[in-house]
Amino acid sequence: MTDQMVQGATIATALNVMKIYGEGETEVRALNGLNAEFRRGQFTAVMGPSGSGKSTLMHVMAGLDRATSGEVMIGDTALSLLSEKELTLLRRERIGFVFQAYNLIPTLSARENMVLPLELAGRKPDADWFDQVVAAVGLGDRLTHRPNELSGGQQQRVAVARALVGQPDIIFADEPTGNLDSQTGHEILDFLKVAVRELDQTIVMVTHDPLAASYTDRAIFLTDGEITSEMNEPNADEIYNHMRSLGA
Amino acid sequence: MILKLVRRNVAATKGRLLLMLLSIVIGVSFVSGSFLLADSLRAIFSDVSEQIFAGVDVQVRAVESELATGEDATRFSDEVLDQVADLPEVEYAEGGLFAFEQIYTVDPEGEVNRPQGPPVLASSWAGPSPVSSWTLIDGRAPGPDEIVIDTLQAEVAEIAIGDTIPIVAPAIENPVEVTVVGTVVFGDEASGGVSPYFNLFDLTTMQTLMGAEGLLDGIALNAVDDVSNNQLIAAVEQATDFNPALEAVPGATLVQEQNDEFGEIIDIIGYVLLGFAVVVLFVSIFIIYNTFAILVSQRIRQFGLLRSVGMLGSQLTRMVFIEALIIGVLASILGLFGGIGIANLLKWIFATASDGGGFPDGPLVFRLRTIIIVFALGIGVTLGSAMIPAWLAQRIPALAALRDGAAGAESSYRRRLTISTVLLIAGVGLYGAGLFAGGLSVSGRLSLLGFGAVLLFLGAVAVSVFFAATVTRFIGAPIERLRGLTGRLGRDNASRNPQRTAATAAALMIGLALITGVLVLAASLRSTFDTILEDSVAADLFVYEEQQGLPFAGTAVDQLLEVPEIADVAGFVDVQVELDGEVTGAAGFDVASQDRVLNIGLVSGSWDAGNNGVLLYTDEAEDLGLGLGDSVNVTFEDDFNADFEIVGLFDDNTLLASDWVFDRSVVAAHSNINQVGFLGATFVEGVDPEAGQAAAEAAIANFPQLVVQNNTEFKETQEGQINAIVALINGLLFLCIIVAFIGIVNTMALSILERTREIGLLRAVGTTRNQLRSMVRWEALIVGVFGALMGVVLGLLIGVGAVTAIPDSFISEVSIPWGSAITFLILGGVLGVVAAFFPARRAAKMNVLDAISAI
Repeated sequence: MTDQMVQGATIATALNVMKIYGEGETEVRALNGLNAEFRRGQFTAVMGPSGSGKSTLMHVMAGLDRATSGEVMIGDTALSLLSEKELTLLRRERIGFVFQAYNLIPTLSARENMVLPLELAGRKPDADWFDQVVAAVGLGDRLTHRPNELSGGQQQRVAVARALVGQPDIIFADEPTGNLDSQTGHEILDFLKVAVRELDQTIVMVTHDPLAASYTDRAIFLTDGEITSEMNEPNADEIYNHMRSLGA
Repeated sequence: MILKLVRRNVAATKGRLLLMLLSIVIGVSFVSGSFLLADSLRAIFSDVSEQIFAGVDVQVRAVESELATGEDATRFSDEVLDQVADLPEVEYAEGGLFAFEQIYTVDPEGEVNRPQGPPVLASSWAGPSPVSSWTLIDGRAPGPDEIVIDTLQAEVAEIAIGDTIPIVAPAIENPVEVTVVGTVVFGDEASGGVSPYFNLFDLTTMQTLMGAEGLLDGIALNAVDDVSNNQLIAAVEQATDFNPALEAVPGATLVQEQNDEFGEIIDIIGYVLLGFAVVVLFVSIFIIYNTFAILVSQRIRQFGLLRSVGMLGSQLTRMVFIEALIIGVLASILGLFGGIGIANLLKWIFATASDGGGFPDGPLVFRLRTIIIVFALGIGVTLGSAMIPAWLAQRIPALAALRDGAAGAESSYRRRLTISTVLLIAGVGLYGAGLFAGGLSVSGRLSLLGFGAVLLFLGAVAVSVFFAATVTRFIGAPIERLRGLTGRLGRDNASRNPQRTAATAAALMIGLALITGVLVLAASLRSTFDTILEDSVAADLFVYEEQQGLPFAGTAVDQLLEVPEIADVAGFVDVQVELDGEVTGAAGFDVASQDRVLNIGLVSGSWDAGNNGVLLYTDEAEDLGLGLGDSVNVTFEDDFNADFEIVGLFDDNTLLASDWVFDRSVVAAHSNINQVGFLGATFVEGVDPEAGQAAAEAAIANFPQLVVQNNTEFKETQEGQINAIVALINGLLFLCIIVAFIGIVNTMALSILERTREIGLLRAVGTTRNQLRSMVRWEALIVGVFGALMGVVLGLLIGVGAVTAIPDSFISEVSIPWGSAITFLILGGVLGVVAAFFPARRAAKMNVLDAISAI
């Protein structure tokens, strides 16, 4: 019931988004009039073969890059209308990130990395929420460690925690398990799933791994900069077969 | 959060920042040291001024003409002493006569006693009195034919009270014997370190020695209690019938005048040192810039990450700025205290260069002004240098965090080319204007030259970016041929980031450009000098005061003329005259000797200047529109005024360096003291040169401060002086080279770190540690040679430009020190290789696996 209510709200929308790199002979249409919608409380996988535009989609949706034409909406905010500074503030306030690698500032401790976006915004972390997130990522005894004193999985969990601590509207994760062994990868994915189910977060994850995508509520498939298909409550085999049919 | 990030960044990159810090600290220390030293000298000499006039309430002296020259004051009759001594307002009065570098004691070998550096002062002294500058340590005050000397001279020359020693003085032809009756110290106690020698006599003896019978330099007065200085001055003026040639001056003014006199010299020393300090700081700008640029580009992904999680571009810029601020503050603090070391180093350099002389000892003086300037410069230079990298950091996109091998933001090629060309042209323009433009004041010319040089260097560095790649490839070509792959890789590394190569080489380039420029000037000066000796001089002997070129009594000329071996003597002296209402320099020259001794190249008219004729330099005649037969109105030091007719024109003013030449007897007649600055003499035909020289030396034995040199000796001395100055200047400029060296070490170390992955890869595919080391060394060698090449070329251009611009009377020939130029190219390479020692070792020591997996 609550699920239905929460999932009803649209958090992010892509409207006829084009992203063109280069010009003339070397022109590449990374996104070709793409339309997409992401809803609150949903864990979405963005899939597709290399060069299909999935990373570009994420960059444009997250305000890291600008669309050539079309519009991206985060809630009611149209990104094309924002200045560079407003875009930065939007990222800081409303969007969380988890990258494949090089996720943490090496000179800051785990805790400092987690609260970095908040502190940049001059906000104090909500203590209860912070404890909840730390408990969920299971890093309570590692908070004072520097990234180089943490394992790869632990580092990625800090990165996820950093995305969660600010309670953003939506979190974008770019191949978050790409650099991890499968065991650690599963832990992260489990954790992302928990964040959506129990902490009521919205996550968009770019991946090319069917197994990773099987943790999500919905998988969308990109080919040549367009969404060609979509799958609800996907499982790994279905995705694998579908990908094969796409020729990836 | 930004502060925390900055703190952590600084802590994490300590090693990388340390070398940069060092390079700023050197420059800042130099600045601080210059001020500390100058302030310390001011304090020391301020004490000296106080002591000179200790107890003097009022001094009576002759009014000095603005045309007066020389160290010794204008004299007046000692009858004035009788007029003022018995005034009821006067407690004590003492007439004094002084001599600067004129009277000396002689040691058993016949050599005069003089300290290295400080002068020998002689004075009349009535013994301990309210106005005495000296304190008697042993013995008693001098009477007739007696002398009192300072304790330092007594110790060094091993002279004891009771000894009878010879002295020499201008007015006595042969040394006379005097008895040592006492020792004194100047002021209240002996000063440490260097100090002048003092030879004190009673007034009558002093007057005889100086040939100044019945004359005084000044009268020191001590007022009775309750009489103010003004009352005393009024009484003195009354007693002397308001004689306009005399003035009565209060003690405070005397101290102030003396301070100003010392101050002028100290200011010059201070400014010269500061000039070098600024050059060193200027050079370190490039190193700071480079370091920050590299640090920013190394952290580009980190910055991207910060941007993506919401750091504003302005916050990123602020972060880099605060890092620079921390470095700047730290460098300023260290530099302030480093100044103590530099001040002592400078003292040592000067002491060494002047062979035991140098600066007097005294505590260093920290003034608020020094601290403020040091901090302003240290922080300003660091922030200024970090400005561009910090500003570019703001343009790093958030996406940089996600891209592999993301490149840093850069200004566009065309924009950089435009800016650097404009800088270069503006620099050449201003420098050229400073050199060649007419009608400029000295300070205007100097600021044009300085500002022009700064722009010129900035422009040269900026422009060198555009051919750094090509030139380094060219330099590296033979290395590649010789050394194969490692040479090839070194060469590629040196040329792959032209901006970095140019900035690294910049410090070396500027340092060597300045040094080369100085050498061009010196070489040209030397060859000009050789030409003068060959073309303009027929003299067999030269006589002058060697240490400071001080003028000496003109009677020396007469004494030499009496020597049978000597045919002709020609002396000249510089004076100030008022010429058609304007004060200008002129020379008195023994025109009767014509061109037989010293040739000034008479082209028209006659030598016969006589009592009311004057010779004029052709160029100046043209400028003024004057010619033979025209007349000018001339006033001399003694207020003698008359019209002089131009009787001859000459075209060589290299020797006299004056446009107007009078007969020396005219100048002598109208000066307070008959002096000559320099003289040459020729032998009678057939005289053995050695015998002739010995005879001349014997004839002027009463002028022990003078040297009598033949052509070869004269040339050696003059070149020695040029060389000593060049060594001093280049010794100071050498600090630039040290900074440049640090810069190369720094850049190489940072580059190695940046290329960790690449080095790992090279190692993984089989590059040996040795090959890796040699690769790094070749790269540094190429960068070093590049910097040296740029520097030498730039230095030659600057030097030749300056030589062309300097009037021919000073330097008329361009001479290029090719040997040094080639040495510098080799030096550049060696510097590079040595600088690469630690970075190369570090590269070779990297663990292959760690290196490959590094991000």
